[in-house]
Amino acid sequence: MFKFFSGFRKEARILLRDKAGLTILFIMPMVLIIIMSLLQEFGYSSVTRESSIKVLFLDKDQDTLGLKIGKGLRESNFFVVVDSLDGKPLTEAIIEEAVKKGDYLIGIVIPEKVTQTIRTNVKIQVTKTLAGFGLYNPILINSLPEQKADTVTVFFDPTVKKTFKNAIVSAVKEFNYKIETEMVFKTFNQEMALVFPNYQPPPQDYQDMVVFKELFPTYKEKEEIPNSAQHNVPSWAVFAMFFIIIPFTSSMMIEREEGSLLRLQCMPVSFMNLLLSKVFVYMIVCFVQTILMMITGLYLLPLFNAVPLELGHQIGALIVVTIVIALAALGFGLMVGTVATTHQQAASFGAVSIIIMAALGGLFVPMYLMSDAMKGVAGLSPLNWALTAYYTIFLRGGGLLEVFPSIYKLILFFAISLIITFTYRTLKNPLNK
Amino acid sequence: MTVVPIIEIRELTKYYKGNDEPAIKALSLDIFPGEIFGLLGPNGAGKTTTISILCGLFPPTRGSVLIDGMDIRHDLDKIKHVIGVVPQDLALYPTLTALENLTFFGNMYGMKGTVLKERIQECLKEFGLEKVARKQINTYSGGMKRRVNLIAGLLHRPKVLFLDEPTVGIDVQSRIFILDYLQAINKTGTTIIYTSHYMEEAENLCTRVAIVDRGSIIALGKPGELLKERPELTNLENIFLHLTGRTLRD
Repeated sequence: MFKFFSGFRKEARILLRDKAGLTILFIMPMVLIIIMSLLQEFGYSSVTRESSIKVLFLDKDQDTLGLKIGKGLRESNFFVVVDSLDGKPLTEAIIEEAVKKGDYLIGIVIPEKVTQTIRTNVKIQVTKTLAGFGLYNPILINSLPEQKADTVTVFFDPTVKKTFKNAIVSAVKEFNYKIETEMVFKTFNQEMALVFPNYQPPPQDYQDMVVFKELFPTYKEKEEIPNSAQHNVPSWAVFAMFFIIIPFTSSMMIEREEGSLLRLQCMPVSFMNLLLSKVFVYMIVCFVQTILMMITGLYLLPLFNAVPLELGHQIGALIVVTIVIALAALGFGLMVGTVATTHQQAASFGAVSIIIMAALGGLFVPMYLMSDAMKGVAGLSPLNWALTAYYTIFLRGGGLLEVFPSIYKLILFFAISLIITFTYRTLKNPLNK
Repeated sequence: MTVVPIIEIRELTKYYKGNDEPAIKALSLDIFPGEIFGLLGPNGAGKTTTISILCGLFPPTRGSVLIDGMDIRHDLDKIKHVIGVVPQDLALYPTLTALENLTFFGNMYGMKGTVLKERIQECLKEFGLEKVARKQINTYSGGMKRRVNLIAGLLHRPKVLFLDEPTVGIDVQSRIFILDYLQAINKTGTTIIYTSHYMEEAENLCTRVAIVDRGSIIALGKPGELLKERPELTNLENIFLHLTGRTLRD
């Protein structure tokens, strides 16, 4: 055992003396989390906080539809409505030019008299319906000319994603439908009152027939709305932990290339002992790295006006998951460091494989945006298992029992990596265990 | 009385993957306790392959090796306690001090506590490194690094010491010091197996040499005996060139 501790001391000293390496290991992931959280703050905070996507809005209508859309945009907490540029009132051409230049993402033009057109068309439709009951002369009614539907124009910057674009168009359509519905009821009541003088129209208090409730089912007692820190801290913690295979394999390759490993192989110490002492040191590094990232989420993000991380109450599960993820990452590192023949090979394969596994695992693009085939592939990535485990704790409030499926896969991955490492080594030199 | 060899090599053969020609061809050799044995040969002759097999770094394709009566195929762990290895590369951790390097390597040999501390102090003193023991290796000169490299291989007082080009790239003073030290520890009973490209050094240091070429021993004996057989060649270097030729080797 003292050989293990001696190896541990040696590794720890080498690591602690590499100040630049330590800075990269500990500071860079913190910086990454701050940057990514701030970049994505808008997307998540739109649920809870004010945001600032500027929308150019030209209301030529100045009637119900235009006013309601304008009011809706202002009250959505999602947009800042801009109705003039450089002190000049907006025109359709100015809006188109500003969006074309990329100065604004969205521009909405409500055409002149659009509400009046809706009103006229609704009235014709209601009158036609009542004519079906013999209340009007159908010949006369059918001869009434319907007005052609007006066009609400929405300009989009080409960089706007399809999902976001669809959300905007749906929101505008929704305002239109509401107004149309209100107008139908109102016109119907007015026409009925004309035909039946004793008809008492009900008070106009149009309300939604269906109310939508947004819930985020979790294992927690209290429901919490996920924020950017809740998403970013776990995903970048997983990425950083797996990226540790770069310095880890580098340390293995340096030992091999500088000849120290050769000397050690001539000494009465097992390969397993040497590697495990290295793994133990880097596991502590992973752990400290994760703690620093959590601290970043808890205390540094609020300093940048971002929502802080909610750590939750499953600290035990969090510790276990972090250790298991670190083991899986280092197991992979051991395998790469043993099988690779050169430093460059280990570094480039290590980096590229982690980026691929991260992309597949849903760290860069959420899994729900992937095709079914890619979702199947994503389920094979250890980074996906790791991320799922963290999300289960942070977003769903799950404990050890809930994260067990992920833990089990990560431990299996570590075991398989170890088996490959030692099998490969034994095949290369059956004498030296 | 028959002296039992400390190293017995029989029909040792090694093929590397993808090579039709063996790196070592049925090499047989006995090395006796107390010898300073020189394994000499041009590049690619099979010296490093032979030493690597003797140290257990990789297995032979055929043949057997006994070190101190133990078979490398079955008793490698025990063999590792009686051998010391000084690689040609400076197999040290540059950001650790000499003391930290030696403590770590001593621990790997199973040494610890006061025994190890005293042994390290003794070696550092003998090698003139006492005052710089707490400085990182990357601040040392080439000669100082070579000396630490040597100490790391003999801390545990091995019965057999393998040295691969121990004096490459160092100043004359360090070289003379190392050679003198090797002779001194040899007198205390350590068997030394040594490879070098410096023929004059080998001629002066070794009690016996083997000249290896293309995986086989082409000359074996005491340097004086080899010279007696070919008096016209005047020194070991001329014998070496006569046997291995002047053609450049890869």
